[in-house]
Amino acid sequence: MGRYAGKRIVQGIITVWFIATATFFAMHAVPGDPLSGEKAMTEQIQSNLKAKYGLDQPLMTQYAIYLANIARGDFGISFTQENRSVNDIIKEHFPVSATLGILAIFFAGLGGVLWGALTALYRNRLPDTIIMFLVILGISVPSFVIAALGQLSIVNLNDLTGISWLPIGGWGTVWHMIVPSLVLGLSTMAYLTRLMRSSMLEIVSADFVRTARSKGLPPTQIFTRHQLRNAILPVITVLGPSIAAITTGGFVVEIIFAIPGLGRYFVQAVQQLDYTVIMGTTVFYGGFLVIMVILVDLIYGLIDPRVRLE
Amino acid sequence: MTEPLLSVSDLEVEFDTYGGTIHAVRGVNFDVHAGKTLAIVGESGCGKSVTVQSIMGLIPVPPGRITSGTAMLSGHDILQSSTVNGQDIRGDRIGMIFQDPMTSLNPTMNIGSQIAETLIVHRGYTRKQAFQRAVELLDLSKIPEADKRARQYPFEFSGGMLQRAMIAMAIACEPDILIADEPTTALDVTIQAQILDLLTDLQRENGMAIVLITHDLGVVARMADEVMVMYAGEVVEEGTVDEIFYNPGHPYTVGLKAAMPTNNPDTDLRLTPIDGSPPDLFDPPPGCGYCARCPEAMQICKDTPPDTFQLADGHTARCWLHHEGRQAAQT
Repeated sequence: MGRYAGKRIVQGIITVWFIATATFFAMHAVPGDPLSGEKAMTEQIQSNLKAKYGLDQPLMTQYAIYLANIARGDFGISFTQENRSVNDIIKEHFPVSATLGILAIFFAGLGGVLWGALTALYRNRLPDTIIMFLVILGISVPSFVIAALGQLSIVNLNDLTGISWLPIGGWGTVWHMIVPSLVLGLSTMAYLTRLMRSSMLEIVSADFVRTARSKGLPPTQIFTRHQLRNAILPVITVLGPSIAAITTGGFVVEIIFAIPGLGRYFVQAVQQLDYTVIMGTTVFYGGFLVIMVILVDLIYGLIDPRVRLE
Repeated sequence: MTEPLLSVSDLEVEFDTYGGTIHAVRGVNFDVHAGKTLAIVGESGCGKSVTVQSIMGLIPVPPGRITSGTAMLSGHDILQSSTVNGQDIRGDRIGMIFQDPMTSLNPTMNIGSQIAETLIVHRGYTRKQAFQRAVELLDLSKIPEADKRARQYPFEFSGGMLQRAMIAMAIACEPDILIADEPTTALDVTIQAQILDLLTDLQRENGMAIVLITHDLGVVARMADEVMVMYAGEVVEEGTVDEIFYNPGHPYTVGLKAAMPTNNPDTDLRLTPIDGSPPDLFDPPPGCGYCARCPEAMQICKDTPPDTFQLADGHTARCWLHHEGRQAAQT
């Protein structure tokens, strides 16, 4: 297990380095730079500023400085926002995005496994048909539509009852988190439900489940130890990529629900060619996702001994 | 003969499928005696596995359905309930091992825990006690380094070792009957012999009855006390192993024997296969099921199901060849 984890971590570091490099060169390939704005600056001022920020150096030198800074955990200072270092921006807004994302993953995983197992047990009967219909909806309707519908439902609910049950936007309390994270996790939940259903159907008729029944185990024990545990493996495999889907999908949901997450800064930075913020958030998100995927792999190893011991 | 341990009578099992109803088992009777081995033989699809799985309650319902019959264990019909005198049948009174050991064990649980599960459920052992006992059982099943092996997972075992572990699991609660559904079919010949030896040893020590399903007559000759030949969901011949081998009374049994290779290098006889395939069980033939493939079929075989004829003490065959009239015509 230790060696396995070590291998994964080295792979992860290489991945992050690759993300950093690709973003750096892609960004510098975009015409213009943070200083070329509408306001006219004299040549002299511009070259002075460039020298100040190191933008006059050859690209490879900039790259080397940049990598050295990242290795020290310093993402630099924003080009467009006053007095803010990228580290500050991340520190302030990432916890919001992360809370939202983790809640969404939690809903998606729990719901997917639950609904998937349920549809498999009620195969081809009414509950199966209804849930599978909703699943198709969940997969095909984009999250900004669902987000708007979610808000509309809250408004209607509050209107009808005359009590403000849930806020329609903003951030701060647990109540602010419920609807956005449900919306964010919905399509992943739908996808996981499908996956769980098919893997559960395979397991229900597996030889080792028949063995478990021949041992006279109670049905609940057969379900949890023999069926669920094996059926859940493919779901855990896709949980890593799902985290990526959810965190990037989070940008849209964050804007609709007026949540002060990192996503908004990321989009803004790209529009303004704010080099340091783009690089910082991308590398940070990349690193975060790599850690999540490694975590998922380690969980997989805990559940499936074949991964752990090989 | 002594009172049978398990007495199955008139068992009928059907399956509903899209193509119609399959009459998989059609009126099967047999007894299992303590300490003895009953072999059920017949080719694939003749209802051997369905018969024992019905007794174990492993038939998926629906589509499966037990339409009639009883299976009496200690005076209780176990087709109706899953306990006898407060004891569970599955795993406790009757243990079962399956054909393919590679897929019959849970890949995500270690071997010891899978054996321990049975003991925790049926014997109320604590987790620790049960695991301890599991190690002893593995040792009993002749698995070397049992305490290390108990902590390993199925993918770390070979096929033969897994089948030993399966046996350890099945005998964990010292069952009265061990049902072995083609236990050696998936294993190579040397491992096969070891597994059969192990079963014989365990039977001698525990005095349990074994119901052995197989289509390998070599296994039957080695293991069985009594043999039951099944064809198309029915028992066509039943008797002691000697009677069946030296004095077969049904053309199907004769055919099976002729299709068995010998290990005599001097022989230049050819194997004689049985032509054709078993009848369609969606619509079983009205007469004898074997009629269409039988070299000795007569007119009566087509439309009238044969009576059961007693050939010797405990040896019966369902075939019109043994009818008085036919016997008279022969002489």
